[in-house]
Amino acid sequence: MQVDLPYTLCSSKPITGTLVWYYFICKREVWLMSHEITPDEDASALDIGRAIHEIFYRRMLKEVSLEGIKIDLFKRAERAACEIKASSKFIEAARFQLLYYLFRLKEYDVDADGWILIPTEKRKISVKLDAEAEQVLLKVLNEIKEIARLERPPPPIRIPYCRRCAYKEFCWA
Amino acid sequence: MKKTIYIFSIGEIKRKGNTLCLIKENGEKKYVPVSEISSLMIFGETTFNKRLLEFLSSNEITLHIFNHYGYYMGSFYPKTHYNSGFMTLKQCEHYLDYAKRLILARKFAEGSLRNMLRNVIYYHNRKGGLSSTIKFLEDASLKLREARTVEEVMAVEGQAKEQYYISFNTIIDDAEYHYEKRERMPPKSRLDALLSFGNSLLYVTVLSEIYKTHLDPRIGFLHATNYRKFSLNLDVAEVFKPIIVDRVIFTLTNKRMLDPSCYMEELGGVYLSEKGRKNFIEQYEDKLKQTISYERMRVSYQRMIRLELYKLEKHLIGEKEYEPFVTQW
Amino acid sequence: MFVIMVYDVGEERLPKVLSIGRRYLTWVQNSVFEGEISDANFIRLKDNLSKVIDKKYDAITFYILRTTAYLKKENLGVIKGESTTII
Repeated sequence: MQVDLPYTLCSSKPITGTLVWYYFICKREVWLMSHEITPDEDASALDIGRAIHEIFYRRMLKEVSLEGIKIDLFKRAERAACEIKASSKFIEAARFQLLYYLFRLKEYDVDADGWILIPTEKRKISVKLDAEAEQVLLKVLNEIKEIARLERPPPPIRIPYCRRCAYKEFCWA
Repeated sequence: MKKTIYIFSIGEIKRKGNTLCLIKENGEKKYVPVSEISSLMIFGETTFNKRLLEFLSSNEITLHIFNHYGYYMGSFYPKTHYNSGFMTLKQCEHYLDYAKRLILARKFAEGSLRNMLRNVIYYHNRKGGLSSTIKFLEDASLKLREARTVEEVMAVEGQAKEQYYISFNTIIDDAEYHYEKRERMPPKSRLDALLSFGNSLLYVTVLSEIYKTHLDPRIGFLHATNYRKFSLNLDVAEVFKPIIVDRVIFTLTNKRMLDPSCYMEELGGVYLSEKGRKNFIEQYEDKLKQTISYERMRVSYQRMIRLELYKLEKHLIGEKEYEPFVTQW
Repeated sequence: MFVIMVYDVGEERLPKVLSIGRRYLTWVQNSVFEGEISDANFIRLKDNLSKVIDKKYDAITFYILRTTAYLKKENLGVIKGESTTII
């Protein structure tokens, strides 16, 4: 893989969708994840999230994987890449995660729409990768690369998300 | 928190109906809920096959074997699933760079000394007569700072421990547990038997916690890496021995919870019998579950071990200098 | 949390319920399981069970305790199964 792609980290691995998502929640997580310091999977909130994902969306899921990214569902007829979320709480983060998927799909000449599906709220939010969105996305990707390049993780900042975060103990020990 | 299961029965351990099953000699079947356990400690004569190991591996369960005397023999440490090349490199760097290694070796020894000191102070306040030990341990902490090699750190820690064990003669009310000299191979006294057994349990507990982190258990700092397969768990266990193992021993002995049938003498050594081991494990498990408050969290001692490993990770990535856990009381 | 699971299901579905129960909890006696379980595994347990039972005929009840501090257990007669960690 070439190193100068907009989504290639200095470790030569591609940016993942999760990384884009976390960029909007906590920059420290971006650093930790990009160094493969993954969170404690037994942490209750994370495990509950995983259980719900396994159970409720299993029938819906039809994952499509590209290097570094995993699209929950691709609706062929509508040419729509879908990201399923449990709530609309971090909608901005979800929007950019999906924009990133659309950006990657475009590389394969797949011009798709994006839908954020929130089954619990019966909502469908449409996301389009237009020129303006792409500019912002490229900036975000670049900043993610910058964070990953830091020698040390950005110091922990206590935010409401910490309470349910699987890194909680790591950050505050 | 997932559980540790201790198997004393004789029989076969199998994967059955997507969970674990122990089939005892008499044909009785005992199922173990696979989703709720993190490690298996095997004391009894059991057989198992490759299929079981694969099953344990996919459920991220570690397995540890102890021999007839309760000695730790080895582990099945499945393919790790928390992998970070970055962290491994950092861990190596802190081993290979002697100055960095010395810093960590000192920290582990310091944690060990300070927790020993807490125990001695606690019993000095209750019973008196331990001021010279307190002085000795305090001096040793100072000497630690001047130690220039890992061997010196080891030596200071070793001498301190010797003095500390002598204080057990005051702490423990039972003359059966008189301390003369620490003997390991084989343990010569009941106290030796308790210490050897308790310490090996703790080594395994720490090892199982390391499995849930990005650290490599083979790279230790105080205990040299070359001689044993695992050494990081020995380092971290030093910090917790006084608080976990020694306190369990104080409870067991002072509350007269062990009778002669809890020991066995074989080949010139004194060991815990099956009954003794079970009594020990019950108290040990209670201690691991006991909670204390720490940084706005309610944390069990078992969890404290994990937090200690996280602190070590943060030290390795250069974020925050590692400070060993020292108990408040 | 600590959960006691009591079930009354058709005989033909019994083996399946047993096998799912054993993965998460400890069998105590006929139609009863108990044990510590994580919140996430409790969700999985209920999901697995709901796929095999016949919702028109079968009944499964869970008694849920946040902590076992107020739980006291007494036995009469034989102890058939226990959620112990030393076996």
